[in-house]
Amino acid sequence: MDTIAKNKQLNNDEIFELMKQFITEVIGEEFVEEMDITPKSSFTKDLEMDSIEIVSFSEKIKTHFGDQIDFTGWLSAMDLDQLINLNLEMIINYIHECQS
Amino acid sequence: MPVIKVNHRDVHIQELNKGAAETVLLIHGMFSNLSVYYFNIAPVLAEHFHVVMYDLKSHGMSERTLEGYDLNSMTDDLYALMEVLKLEKVHLAGYSFGGLIALKMAVRFPEKLRKLVLIEAPDPNDDKTRGIIEEYSREFLEHYVANFTDTTKVKMGKRQMDRNHRMYEYLFYQTSIKKDMIQESGFFSAPEINTMQKDTLLLYGSASNCLEAGKQLHQKIRKSDLIPLDGDHNIPIQEPVMIAEIVSGFFKN
Repeated sequence: MDTIAKNKQLNNDEIFELMKQFITEVIGEEFVEEMDITPKSSFTKDLEMDSIEIVSFSEKIKTHFGDQIDFTGWLSAMDLDQLINLNLEMIINYIHECQS
Repeated sequence: MPVIKVNHRDVHIQELNKGAAETVLLIHGMFSNLSVYYFNIAPVLAEHFHVVMYDLKSHGMSERTLEGYDLNSMTDDLYALMEVLKLEKVHLAGYSFGGLIALKMAVRFPEKLRKLVLIEAPDPNDDKTRGIIEEYSREFLEHYVANFTDTTKVKMGKRQMDRNHRMYEYLFYQTSIKKDMIQESGFFSAPEINTMQKDTLLLYGSASNCLEAGKQLHQKIRKSDLIPLDGDHNIPIQEPVMIAEIVSGFFKN
């Protein structure tokens, strides 16, 4: 049914691939090629994303998942230290929880 | 990304809580972008207000422009943005250079504003403010990153450093920003500031080089309060939640 296709639940590997795609779109393929992106990669230290890039990344998640997850709300509850230490695994887990 | 056309240029905006009755419009500072508000300050304000943030020209994800960094042009841009978004009247808050834009807006178009918050707005006549503009170099940026890591928690990597460096280079050596800023050096002496009637909140870091500018404005603006907060020029990064709560309380009452 259409609704199933629309609300298809992604497994952790699929979410990870989608996140990698968003990161590539935000920071550019030439930079991503030099990086080894893993679920443990942190946004600021490993991926060297600055805050406007995280805004852009956040927009992509919002556009993709719509009301299914409140990604900006989740991020805004974090203090600066938590934001600095944010890694892909935390986001994958959050999206996974929202889907279940 | 939400990008809209204002005065024939692309402007990146972000909005929260569109349904609220009153709007708060936030202006960031020079060499910064709307993310200074996005993660911690805007969500608190959005509990009560429609919040609009935008990237100034050549900043963040807005279109680059060679000219028009004087306060008249910057407030023309803001006026046009309000027209496009159909905002009749807003609460306005600006940080650093954005504070100067907010103050100029209050002087030029008081009918468009409810209340005003100026965070760390510098005196454009201050030597230190001008000195930063004159002495900028990659070394300056590296020194800044090395010495202010503790207070701003910014840890810039090579790609970020290059990106920031390119923005500084573009703004300083290709656009009219330096010339435009130097022309504004007499702004705090403008008689209109003394006759301004808007309720104004001045938030400054108690250890900031700009605190003197805050004291000057407090003397000039009749209906103003000055609140010094723990921190320096980077208070929106050091105390985002406290700032958001103070600003929200001020706009609500």
